[in-house]
Amino acid sequence: LLLFVLNSADHSFLLVSLYHRLDLVLFSFPAGTRNAVLNTEARTVEADVLSRRCVMMRLVDFSYEQYQKALRQSAGAVVIILPKAMSAAPQDVVRQFMEIEPEMLAMETIVPVYFAVEDEELLSIYEQTRVASTSQGSASAAEVLLHTATANGFQMVTSGAQSKAVSDWLITSLEGRLTGLGGEDLPTIVIVAHYDSFGVAPWLSHGADSNGSGISGLLELARLFSRLYTYKRTHAGYNLLFFASGGGKFNYQGTKRWLEDNLDHTDSSLLQDNVAFVLCLDTLGRGNSLHLHVSKPPKEGTLQHAFLRELEMVVESQFPEVKFSMVHKKINLAEDMLAWEHERFAIRRLPAFTISHLESHRDGLRNSIMDTRPRVDSKTLTRNTRIIAEALTRVIYNLTEKGAPADLHIFTEQMQIQQEQLESVMDWLTSQPRAAQLVDKDSTFLNTLEYYMSRYLKDVKQHHVKADKRDPEFVFYDQLKQVMNAYRVKPAIFDLLLALCIAVYLGVAYVAVQVRKKGNESILSSGHSLGVNTFVIQIHSQYS
Amino acid sequence: MTLFHFGNCFALAYFPYFITYKCSGLSEYNAFWRCVQAGATYLFVQLCKMLFLATFFPTWEGGAGAYDFVGEFMKATVDLADLVGLHLVMSRNAGKGEYKIMVAAMGWATAELVMSRCIPLWVGARGIEFDWKYIQMSIDSNISLVHYIAMAALVWMFTRYDLPKRYRLPLTLLLGLSVYKAFFMESFVHVFLLGSWTALLVKAVITGFLALSSLGLFVTLVHGN
Repeated sequence: LLLFVLNSADHSFLLVSLYHRLDLVLFSFPAGTRNAVLNTEARTVEADVLSRRCVMMRLVDFSYEQYQKALRQSAGAVVIILPKAMSAAPQDVVRQFMEIEPEMLAMETIVPVYFAVEDEELLSIYEQTRVASTSQGSASAAEVLLHTATANGFQMVTSGAQSKAVSDWLITSLEGRLTGLGGEDLPTIVIVAHYDSFGVAPWLSHGADSNGSGISGLLELARLFSRLYTYKRTHAGYNLLFFASGGGKFNYQGTKRWLEDNLDHTDSSLLQDNVAFVLCLDTLGRGNSLHLHVSKPPKEGTLQHAFLRELEMVVESQFPEVKFSMVHKKINLAEDMLAWEHERFAIRRLPAFTISHLESHRDGLRNSIMDTRPRVDSKTLTRNTRIIAEALTRVIYNLTEKGAPADLHIFTEQMQIQQEQLESVMDWLTSQPRAAQLVDKDSTFLNTLEYYMSRYLKDVKQHHVKADKRDPEFVFYDQLKQVMNAYRVKPAIFDLLLALCIAVYLGVAYVAVQVRKKGNESILSSGHSLGVNTFVIQIHSQYS
Repeated sequence: MTLFHFGNCFALAYFPYFITYKCSGLSEYNAFWRCVQAGATYLFVQLCKMLFLATFFPTWEGGAGAYDFVGEFMKATVDLADLVGLHLVMSRNAGKGEYKIMVAAMGWATAELVMSRCIPLWVGARGIEFDWKYIQMSIDSNISLVHYIAMAALVWMFTRYDLPKRYRLPLTLLLGLSVYKAFFMESFVHVFLLGSWTALLVKAVITGFLALSSLGLFVTLVHGN
């Protein structure tokens, strides 16, 4: 699916392409919309004939049946026009689209599907096309003739190449640590969030809530704990390992390979020795509930259980409006995709949970292009980060055992969670699309993230994942963004009409000249002698 | 918008010239090469004008919306060279008045058509995108034909030695109008913000007026003598 951006000079658009989820070679046929070169007339869904035409639809009028109708009739292409501010679209339309997105991805079709962001000129093109399409079948011959002279048709032309698989694409993840005070063999707490986003069109997926909120939370926790660890008095005896993973939406590829490298291929690593628990942050930006997803309920007496208890206590006493619960879901290895990020750790027998405001991993919000910045409420994000920070601190410093009351506010005044910081990080994260196919290892996004992490953490390293050559876990395709040009054209009848008019005009001119010529001849015959006289006089004047 | 459209514009632009050439009796006088010579003179005059403008007139550095009336007026004055060129062509051709006028005007106008309209039509009208401006360009070339015929007639009348005194003033005025017509058109478009079709209409009206008045003067002059 390609994104339209309109250029006013000759109505050219920038398209963002649909990436097909089946590119994840879990199913081994490369399906999806590969054709990218196109030269078709524009129509809207109201027209009768849609085959080999470029069908334009607006999101606000979107209906799945019409979309399927276009695909069934082998349309040349489908262009879906998204409103400029997706948050301004009516909520039921947004919800419906979020539900349809995975179906659109799953549907195999050779029809290329494009997404474009609406602006005035695109809208005017759409309106003109719609008027033309609706009036196709119904008008009388005279109206049709008049229509051809005044109306405009549009020819849509793209010039992109066929999209092909990108080889050697690296998925990058970043890790950093804060070492605890007190020698060897300290327990480690791992805090993980995936930074990439997902949607039906990669260039349009900004992933604000999922998982921009997770990364902002992770960075804020890194900042707070690095402050605590600066002073000897507050330097705790726990190692904190922060991991910003890539390829999260692709079945957590970054995490998977990182675990393999750390547990199988290295001699010593923080992950091998003494891991207290792994906390994965996912979708913290909205809502009034928090859920701790586990694959195995924590046993009494373990640090995981302590963390769970602290969370419950902090929520109950300090944030009573939040509904907190633990959700137990067994790992289902028969499914194509793992549900939450903690399951990767759980498979490797590390105690892990994911904290999220969503109750089900199947929620469409996690993989939608509609997940834009306005969907994240800064106050909610701040509050959730605070809850996590308070609970973590209570576990790390063993505050409950030492008698600290349940409603003790740790993070206040200088140490408070900075909402402005969270907001600016969210703004930065959503300012560019973070789909895994678009973030390569030299991208500015990763450089900025690495720089940010190295301000607070030590040993910040990049970790790369490349798909296995023989049995790849993921395959990415290129040509994700294209320019489509719309040319104003007139129908063929118009040319014929014009030729007729010109012929009439020429005929009239010819006749007029002939008449004038006849009239002139009468003048000429009388003036001819005058001309001769003038000529004679001229000669005389020359010689005299 | 395809070759057919190009064909339409080409027909609209060129055929009137063809008709005029055939039907004004020039073909009887084997005037083809004289027309070509007139065309060559046109090229030469345009070249001189361009050199003059490039040398002596600074580039306009004002804002996009402002219109430099004085500058454009001065530039239009250089178009007086057109009149000189027409006179030159006409004086080299022996023959009666009408013949001279028609030869000069045909050659001049055809040269202008070939130079300034051929390539835009070829490149633009054949493209995918449709624009009314190509039809407008062709209609404009028709108007130019009439304009040049009128201008040649005025120049011819101006240089006749036996011109009665009372014709001098209207003749000068009409000559001035014909030279500054382009300038007036641009000013109108800027001041009244005319659309392209309206501008074309105004141009046609002005040229029509010019042509009719010069025709009137011509007939009275020829008759009067």
